[in-house]
Amino acid sequence: MDFSYSEEQIMLQKMAREFLEKECTEKFVREMQAGDVGYSKEQWKKIADLGWLGFLYPENCGGINGSILDLAVIYEEMGRTMFPSPHLATVILCGMSILYGGTEEQKKEYLSKIACGDLIMALALNEPESSWDGKAWKAEGVTMKAAAQGDNYVLSGTKLFVEFGKVADYLLVATQTKATGKAEDGITLFLVDAKSQGITSNLLVTTGGDKQCEVIFDKVKVPKANIVGKLNGGWAPLAKAMKLGSVLLCAQMVGADRKMLELAVDYAKTRTQFEVPIGVWQYVQEHCVMIVTELDSSWWLTYDAAWKLSKGESADMEVALAKGWCSDSHERACWRAHQVYGGVGYTILDGVMPLYSKRGKYLQQYLGNAEYHMEQIASELDKWPVPPQPRGKALHLWEGVEEQRIPDWFDRFCKGEGMAANKI
Amino acid sequence: MEFGFSPEQEKFKNEVREFFMNELPADNRMDHRHDMFLNEKQLAFGWRLQQKAGAKGYLAPGWSKEEGGLGLGDIEHGISGEESGYWNCTWPTQQGLRVCGPPLHVFGTPEQKKKFLPSIAQGKMVWYQTFTEPNAGSDEANMQLRAIQDGDYFVLNGQKTFITAQSPADYLYTLARTKDVLPKHRGLSLFLIDAHTKGISYRPLPTIGVFTIEIFFDDVRIHKDSLLGELNRGFYHAMETFAFERTGTIDAGRARRHFEELVQYCKDTKRNGKPLIQDPEVRKMLAEMAMEERIEWLCSWHGQWYLTQKEKLGAQPYNLYAIFKKTFLTKHAEEESRMLGMYGQLKKVSKYAPFDGRVEAAWQDARSFHPEGTMEILKNVVADRGLGLPRYSRPEGPGKPVTVKQG
Repeated sequence: MDFSYSEEQIMLQKMAREFLEKECTEKFVREMQAGDVGYSKEQWKKIADLGWLGFLYPENCGGINGSILDLAVIYEEMGRTMFPSPHLATVILCGMSILYGGTEEQKKEYLSKIACGDLIMALALNEPESSWDGKAWKAEGVTMKAAAQGDNYVLSGTKLFVEFGKVADYLLVATQTKATGKAEDGITLFLVDAKSQGITSNLLVTTGGDKQCEVIFDKVKVPKANIVGKLNGGWAPLAKAMKLGSVLLCAQMVGADRKMLELAVDYAKTRTQFEVPIGVWQYVQEHCVMIVTELDSSWWLTYDAAWKLSKGESADMEVALAKGWCSDSHERACWRAHQVYGGVGYTILDGVMPLYSKRGKYLQQYLGNAEYHMEQIASELDKWPVPPQPRGKALHLWEGVEEQRIPDWFDRFCKGEGMAANKI
Repeated sequence: MEFGFSPEQEKFKNEVREFFMNELPADNRMDHRHDMFLNEKQLAFGWRLQQKAGAKGYLAPGWSKEEGGLGLGDIEHGISGEESGYWNCTWPTQQGLRVCGPPLHVFGTPEQKKKFLPSIAQGKMVWYQTFTEPNAGSDEANMQLRAIQDGDYFVLNGQKTFITAQSPADYLYTLARTKDVLPKHRGLSLFLIDAHTKGISYRPLPTIGVFTIEIFFDDVRIHKDSLLGELNRGFYHAMETFAFERTGTIDAGRARRHFEELVQYCKDTKRNGKPLIQDPEVRKMLAEMAMEERIEWLCSWHGQWYLTQKEKLGAQPYNLYAIFKKTFLTKHAEEESRMLGMYGQLKKVSKYAPFDGRVEAAWQDARSFHPEGTMEILKNVVADRGLGLPRYSRPEGPGKPVTVKQG
């Protein structure tokens, strides 16, 4: 048991915080939300130099072979400043799918380029029909077909909520290549050049101003060689990458919770009404304390899951517990912080709170909201074994015993007898 | 970061688990969070079990061997605690272990330690924590039980109330007023008092949860050796060691066991021809409980881990364990009760009682969950000590104005 950041993690945290506080100011976040691109190319190069792009990749792919747990520490800092970047889309969802499922050549080619900042990728998974409910992140939700045609496959259909789809160089597209049997066994991932003929990308206007897109595929030809790994073998690596992505979204929510707590407490201590700081009032204190409960619980679940993943365990339950909890917990924390700020919490021009709560919507929904992950949890509970039972001889101590309002031993205790006088 | 146990700790966990599996009867009542209304027969079993566990050192493995423990660390201490909760050991020694043991370690004289610690660790001595008074509930410093020094003795007069009593006790861990002074908490002292000293009398105060009693002190003379720690520093001593009452892994073990049993019940029970666990509402409820149960577990271990870092980090400024525990226990009891519809109100002894009446018992227990401070007081502690929020300083005396102090 160890609930502390290691010395290296503290250094990593310090470095990330210094970098992001300088680079990712509130003004910058606003600019990125307002523009079409949604991230800064110069910054992307800088974080490549910091090693953040190849963090988890092996050395022969330009990476530094870092641990998931350490990356979570960096993601926590990203969440703290609402860092807008295609890191999750490119490095984690696409890159890690390639790492988990791609061929050696694909890994070398694509991951090396990602690691040095030369390639932006986006995951095209959700579809118009599936995006209504929990199917969005499940194999059952993938209905877009890829038809074999000579050395190529032809892709047609619409993908939604493709984060950074408009600026990506390559798209990782999930398609249904086998309609019979289990849905998971019929998914193929394609690496698609975003400039291919027949692709149209449109920005969707979202709460958080993040760059989620509609990507339309109209008979797009993709070479067979661009299948990630094997035909029909796309779901396992993608699901694994999405699990990792879920935990990293949680880490961002933890970082944002922590910052909001600091802001709210600071405001409660300095804002004066009725001639006293508003933090004196217990209603205001309650909001601050409840943010602490949201923050700490989210922190524990997030790092518990990250720890399991970094040990190489499947961590299905832990990931679902974390994302299922953090999604709603973060929402509650945002609301609490808003309440402490009062009217100031709602001003759009110079208030920071709306930025956090609007970005919260994306963090909450992306890769599955609370309902989706709660169903994952329930399906893990389905697999739980029968609890172990004691082996001793039955003693019938509890059978048919009425509760005694005053226990039978009380009289003898009053007369001066202790527990040892019990002679039964 | 590491959210699991070392191989040696896992081995210890299994060893303790084996002990409980073998010693407990196959029909042990498995998942009550609190042991309400234990009768003589039930206590007799728990009393023997706790001495068997004590002989093996499982009651307080974190204490040194001279003190009756195994000389292991706080983590092992937490492991055996969690197991005892998971297997729902109904033994009467909890208050001695959790509440009186820690201050004895820190403030006890060598004689006091020798006299009390081994008996507590071996399960041979039962304690009541006697702090609460009619006018000193949340405002603990307002105690009026008076201890007036008379040569080598103190003479006690006054009353305690809402004292949790799972079984007969041998000793009372008592906070009493030894000086009239402002602020009030500078005039309190801790005493270790033989429960059957002349002049002490008891009256039952049954609640809908645990059994509690009132204690009356009428010219009770105790030797000054009974003083624990420094005179008039009792409140501070108690506060310093309250952390131990607010940490602990036992209840997390109980919560885990209850949840496992509930999941199994929902698999085994059919409604409208389908297992309960397939009902979407029930699935959602169970999933939410799974998250909360895990939070409770992680929170309890966070506190336990913090104890291992005493030298580096000092005392934990705040602990959310009791907040989570109380929130979730109340919420879960209500939800389970609703899941069972009309049957949710049936007591164990009633005809048709589902799930062995456990839901009804848990619901009733959740209604009286005030030990360790009310939720409101616990939140005040987080606001004050955790966040340093400003607060009204307490009035320094009757009629004095309330002032605001920056935190």
